[in-house]
Amino acid sequence: MLRPTVKELLTRLQGTVTGILIPELTSPYAQGQAMYVATMLARAASIYDQEAEYLAAESKNLRATIAALNRLAAKHLGRGLGDLKKALARGAKAAKTSPPDHRAMEAVISEFAAALALGRLDDAIARVVRAHLKRHLDRSREFLGNVNLGG
Amino acid sequence: MDHSRLTDFLRRKMPRAENLRVIGLKRISGGSSRETYAFDLEWVEGAETRTRALIGRRDPTGGLLKSDRASEFRVLEAMHRAGLHVPEPLHLELDPAVMDRPFFIMHRAGGRTSGGPFPQTEPAPLREKIAHQLLEELARLQALDYRALKLEFLGAPKDHAESARAQTAHWREIYDRDRMGEHYPILDAAFAWLAANPVVTDRVVIVHGDFRSGNYLYDDDGMLAMLDWEMTHLGDPMEDLGWASMRFWGRGEFAAGLMEREAFYRLYEEISGRSIDRERLFFYQVLGNAKMATICLTGVCDFTEGRTVDAQMPFLEQLLAPLCDDLALQLKLA
Repeated sequence: MLRPTVKELLTRLQGTVTGILIPELTSPYAQGQAMYVATMLARAASIYDQEAEYLAAESKNLRATIAALNRLAAKHLGRGLGDLKKALARGAKAAKTSPPDHRAMEAVISEFAAALALGRLDDAIARVVRAHLKRHLDRSREFLGNVNLGG
Repeated sequence: MDHSRLTDFLRRKMPRAENLRVIGLKRISGGSSRETYAFDLEWVEGAETRTRALIGRRDPTGGLLKSDRASEFRVLEAMHRAGLHVPEPLHLELDPAVMDRPFFIMHRAGGRTSGGPFPQTEPAPLREKIAHQLLEELARLQALDYRALKLEFLGAPKDHAESARAQTAHWREIYDRDRMGEHYPILDAAFAWLAANPVVTDRVVIVHGDFRSGNYLYDDDGMLAMLDWEMTHLGDPMEDLGWASMRFWGRGEFAAGLMEREAFYRLYEEISGRSIDRERLFFYQVLGNAKMATICLTGVCDFTEGRTVDAQMPFLEQLLAPLCDDLALQLKLA
């Protein structure tokens, strides 16, 4: 195993920035930038292990939602929703590639989210899309750190 | 900014000044879409030594916004002439040969900024005073005649329906440019909703475009100057009010960190003498969240693609979560 690991390296370099560089800096602007560097190094270290897990969970969520929408499509995607049927077909194809095409699946969900915002979906489809977006938001909040300017 | 080039520039701009010196030139944070520098200028004129506190604002190599320095300077001139609380603009230079990128020099007002929502640590009477002053300034801005101030170059909407459509299209275009091929379902949904539900304004006013806590200087006696006029355009008065009172720029139900949101609205109506149109206000709060998320994506994109090395930019990714949460709540998406 190579040492330091990437995570160890990022953590220790954060210590270098806060312990050595920042005390030596006299410009408040440079100190502010160094603080951001330290914060970002700490964040990189903390998400280093989680990023793959986060993306895998997002991908699983996308595949599950697309599968659920496909099951409902025949009955609930009726007239005037041909664009969504086509999108769903693209999504199903993207879900089957190896590895699944995350970006293409997300594009499909974006189309359904837009349709939801415009009130184009019936209750059954809307429930699936809302549940997907809730899981996505919960996960993003957890991963990105739920930063709030107002404290 | 280079000290000697700045000194040479000011000597050219102030031919009667003798022994002109730039003192204490330093880059400062704040106004994060531009490079901002503070310095003092000292010179002798008519046997008298004079000093002035100044700010230099230079275009960055990349960052949050792509805006026009000349427009910002002309707006600042117009606002100063109109008697609004703004720093006096002094010199504009668009020739990149002078300081690598366009910049301007303006007066440096005293006081402090909050960065984000007005701090909870400040005394309640000061919060209330600043809420009044902020809304008085907004009402004064919205009462100005943009034609009389020769601000038609900001792009007067063809009709009252165009403001909402134009702003939606503008930010959608930037979103599509800077999302680096990624899809953000909540933002895609928000832009679709905005495009499908444009509101119609009752009048066209000067819109600051970033009117909020964090963009004014204040001291213990109250508000001193409104800053950051680079997103100024013509449009709906509900746009600035919606932006100022967004949850993102506040603290819970405290609009702008200053006072409870409903009280903030009532105070605006009292000061401006105009009723708030809740439908339009809501539209501009949705647009505000989508716009702020887009600005964050621009910063992230410019950092990722190497147009800026500003270490604040990658942090902006983390602001997407609360903005998307607010949008999901507003549009009942989750």
